[in-house]
Amino acid sequence: MVDPVSMTRAGHRALYVALSALVLFVGMLPLSTLPASWPGPDILLALTIAWLLRRPEYVPATAIVAIFLLQDLVTMRPPGLWTLIVLLGCEFLRARVVLVRDLPLMLEWAMVTTVMLAMFGLNRLVLALFMVPQAGFGPTVLQCVATAAAYPVIVGLSHLAFGIRKVAPGEVDALGHRV
Amino acid sequence: MARDRNADFNFAGPVRRILLAVTVLCLGLLFLVWRIDSPRVERFRAALTDAVVPSFDWALVPVTRFVAMVDDFQSYASLHEQNRQLREELKQMRAWKEAAVQLEQQNAKLLAQNNVRLDPKLTSVSGVVLADSGSPFRQSVLLNVGRRDGIVDGWATTDGLGLVGRISGVGNTTSRVLLLTDASSRVPVTIQPSGQRAILSGDNTARPLIEFVEDAEKVRAGDRIVSSGDGGVFPAGLLVGQVAVDTDGRLRAILSADYERLDFLRVLRSRPAEAIRDAGDLIVPEAPPALPALPPALPEAGAAPVPSPDPQGLGIAPPAAPAALTAAGGTANG
Repeated sequence: MVDPVSMTRAGHRALYVALSALVLFVGMLPLSTLPASWPGPDILLALTIAWLLRRPEYVPATAIVAIFLLQDLVTMRPPGLWTLIVLLGCEFLRARVVLVRDLPLMLEWAMVTTVMLAMFGLNRLVLALFMVPQAGFGPTVLQCVATAAAYPVIVGLSHLAFGIRKVAPGEVDALGHRV
Repeated sequence: MARDRNADFNFAGPVRRILLAVTVLCLGLLFLVWRIDSPRVERFRAALTDAVVPSFDWALVPVTRFVAMVDDFQSYASLHEQNRQLREELKQMRAWKEAAVQLEQQNAKLLAQNNVRLDPKLTSVSGVVLADSGSPFRQSVLLNVGRRDGIVDGWATTDGLGLVGRISGVGNTTSRVLLLTDASSRVPVTIQPSGQRAILSGDNTARPLIEFVEDAEKVRAGDRIVSSGDGGVFPAGLLVGQVAVDTDGRLRAILSADYERLDFLRVLRSRPAEAIRDAGDLIVPEAPPALPALPPALPEAGAAPVPSPDPQGLGIAPPAAPAALTAAGGTANG
């Protein structure tokens, strides 16, 4: 018998991977091959951070690496770099989950936006250092802003659709342990 | 107990740290290797895409078609209006078709009279668009034809009307088409009727820039852009689009291919043009050494060129030439 805690954890991990795969899949649909006039938000990043700050155990580092590396390879990005940056950003946030748990959404949002800005900036910086041709500055900033703007929406959707919310003080899991 | 579980959840253990550090190092190394030896990693990328994306094939194509159908359904309301418009256009098209057929016949006759040999032996492979790049900063699509179908890097791709891009990255069953709109796309073009050479360079917008025009004065908005065949990558004369001038006064191209809906693409099998590398041999130096070894070879070698001038000079050439021309015309049309 598998205990219910491990079951929900494994189930939610699978759900996270499935959702990420869905985001990748929808992004690859050749619905319009015209260049977008406005780069949309990086849904995958917002989803990962939103889940990470709520239930870090549902978003293991291995899953993050696997998904973002696959995205790197499929979407023709320089392989490894964005994955590395996302991993570092996520681990930075993971170390502060307990702190974020007590913050209101606005402050959490500000913190996440700062981390995202740092990630996008670092990405640009490294690409520039290695002289890799990259997208223009304007579109990158737009994408960063769009991702930050999408963050609360994704937080709300995760809460409504999948019940992903912050752990309340004194909350216990199915086995009666404190979470 | 609770403390233990928390420790487990936060993964604060030293083992996890070491693993994390190793992962970070590996990812950094991967990026470095890609930067140093890009072709090898890109081949790996093509192989991975080849393995991953076709397994979504069953879903990618139907979902795309379905969304397209919904889009079409939205225009259902204006069906009557559309129908009337289409009839009108069809009438005009018939007139054009008639004109085109006449011109084609005339062209074939003139070519036959000139005894012109049409050079590019263009045949094509058609493929279905499986997926696009999935990133707002990359403009490429994935086709379901690959090395298996004889696709080679660099071949031109059209949607039947205009140039779409070129093959960049071939897997076994898939290949990636770098669109003209991608920021790294550069294609040599000729602007008709002035014949100016230029470079069509994508900049991640729907209208690529036309750069390095020899004499921009001679180029007007509405001029036709065709591929020039410079650099030996593309066959010459493929329609690309029309010239437009943007608000900054820069020249841009309105692409003929329907970029809003790329579903079937044709990859043109272009063979590399024969290059003439050395100056012609006016004096034949290699013949004498061969002669003493094989005395009987001499009459054969001498006899071989003799029959070939005869059919060309005599009556066999005229029936052969129109056949070749109609065949060439057929491939160019179809």
